[in-house]
Amino acid sequence: MSCGNPTVETDALMPRKKKYDKTNECVRCKTSLGNIVIRHAVYCKECFFPLVTFKFRRALEPFVNAKPDGPRRTALKPKGNLLVGFSGGLGSTVLLDLVYRCYVSMDKSTMPAEGGKQHPRHERVWKKVSVCYVEVCDIFPGMKDRTPEVAQLVAQHDGLEFIPLRIQDAFDSSWWARAHSSPGRIDLGVDLTNEELFLNSVPSSTSSTPLESLRTFLASLPTATAMSSTINSLIRLLLLHTALDTGSSHLVLGSSLTSLAVSLISGVSQGRGFNVKEEMQEEWFPDRAPEPSSQREKRTGKGERSVRVIRPLRDVGRKECAAWAWWSGLRVLGRETWPWPGLKQDIGTLTKNFIFGLEKDYPSTVSTIVRTCTKVAPKGEASGICVLCARPIQAGIQEWKSRISIRSRSPGDAIDEKTPVGPSLASHLCYACHTTLTSTSSRPAPPFDATVTKSSLVALPVWVPPQFSEKEELFRTQKMGQEKMRNVVQDFLLDE
Amino acid sequence: MPSVKVEFSGGLELLFSNQRKHDISLPERVPADGHESGRPVDIAYLILWLRDNLLQERAELFVENDSVRPGILVLVNDTDWELEGEGECVLKERDEIVFISTLHGG
Repeated sequence: MSCGNPTVETDALMPRKKKYDKTNECVRCKTSLGNIVIRHAVYCKECFFPLVTFKFRRALEPFVNAKPDGPRRTALKPKGNLLVGFSGGLGSTVLLDLVYRCYVSMDKSTMPAEGGKQHPRHERVWKKVSVCYVEVCDIFPGMKDRTPEVAQLVAQHDGLEFIPLRIQDAFDSSWWARAHSSPGRIDLGVDLTNEELFLNSVPSSTSSTPLESLRTFLASLPTATAMSSTINSLIRLLLLHTALDTGSSHLVLGSSLTSLAVSLISGVSQGRGFNVKEEMQEEWFPDRAPEPSSQREKRTGKGERSVRVIRPLRDVGRKECAAWAWWSGLRVLGRETWPWPGLKQDIGTLTKNFIFGLEKDYPSTVSTIVRTCTKVAPKGEASGICVLCARPIQAGIQEWKSRISIRSRSPGDAIDEKTPVGPSLASHLCYACHTTLTSTSSRPAPPFDATVTKSSLVALPVWVPPQFSEKEELFRTQKMGQEKMRNVVQDFLLDE
Repeated sequence: MPSVKVEFSGGLELLFSNQRKHDISLPERVPADGHESGRPVDIAYLILWLRDNLLQERAELFVENDSVRPGILVLVNDTDWELEGEGECVLKERDEIVFISTLHGG
């Protein structure tokens, strides 16, 4: 058989490769004809449901007890309650259904067969399960508020508490006061035009509403990617603080294998390489003072508050999620696309389109991305926790950044000794957050609302100021003028 | 003329007049140029037929390179179309085809 010339001989084209291995029989029961192909393996409908439930339990249950992967032959005993982060999307709809079936309604079909009916595994695990939804519609004019629809959907599940939040709560001192029983402050601002990100107090005369503060903060960000990643980060932090407020030891998110692969690749390309581990799974200790990770390990106390963030669908692809939702008759509300042209320039959107296209022709690649990331260990030690995103900061990252950056100082940078300069936020941020706030692009982000203007001093989210007031010592960096410098070293100068 | 049932889910129905279920009649064979009759009607043809006859807006959200956009799951009589030959799956009378969008993320 000759290779032929495919451009002129259409018959010479190679036959299309099948999307599944061997036969169309189910690889599990080996009797029924398959209904779905999952990464080249064929499953029938009856075997599909136990398979997804098994993957869900396998990703969640080893991390329920305080000591992960410890001996748990008897029962699952979490330290606190459970919070489900719900977005209305496919993944979180499937997650809510699985959590409800496995741990609230105790659906027998989701229970492992071994162990008998009286096995501790069949007891309710979490005393209270809450569902939190963060509405982002107020950012973009004309976007629909889906809170009532989400509330209606959650209400169909008995025994679940619904907590609706709005994205502007991140700048709302009254929300902070409600969630933490301590007064909240949004009086700390930052100058986003300077790379050092000098902090300053926001004058009390500028009494903005939380929504105005949020919109000004977003409008002042330099790129489209910065805006979407900031929104995602704000949602994550709102969920973490809500978990703390509800006494939840676990926060579960509906990221599927596919969306996890997207967020990993997108995160690495935005400078979150040091936080690859946290993107998959993380534990947040809100009461810990920022300090090197080696010292932190030694100080782990028993009564310390923490929230463990788990993505139980991390082994379940979005195709499996769609099949689960369809065959279970779930109503997927869907996440409304942001009515904002800047989304086309966003690294997250571009990564999503790339990975989705890749998954269609090479379904195993997505799984390979996630598996590879589980093996990646970042180099270097953590020197603290980022005040903005609550993830570890790589030690010496600011020094490294200033060493490799090429800057040109313009005459406008002349030192003005009369203007008081606050401490710098830069050293309290991780590399990705610092880049998000400062890295400019040749294509600036299109405005999401023409009525919102940029500001030189923008208020920071409500969880940032308390972290500064708690610090005993705050370093202040200020450039000295030549005259002042001369006065300081005057005694040591030799006469000419 | 095979009559088939088509259903849209996961937000795709918004592109099709917000109507989830459609009963449609298709020609026996794909209309071909010249005198020769075309191939029997298959899903590849159905996708283009839906684009040209039922789709109301934003075709790029449904069709890409003459197939469905990546992220749309297709079930033929409750079975993944990858098991049925994808676009080459020949349609029969009363077949039920479901298009489910998975593009709504986590």
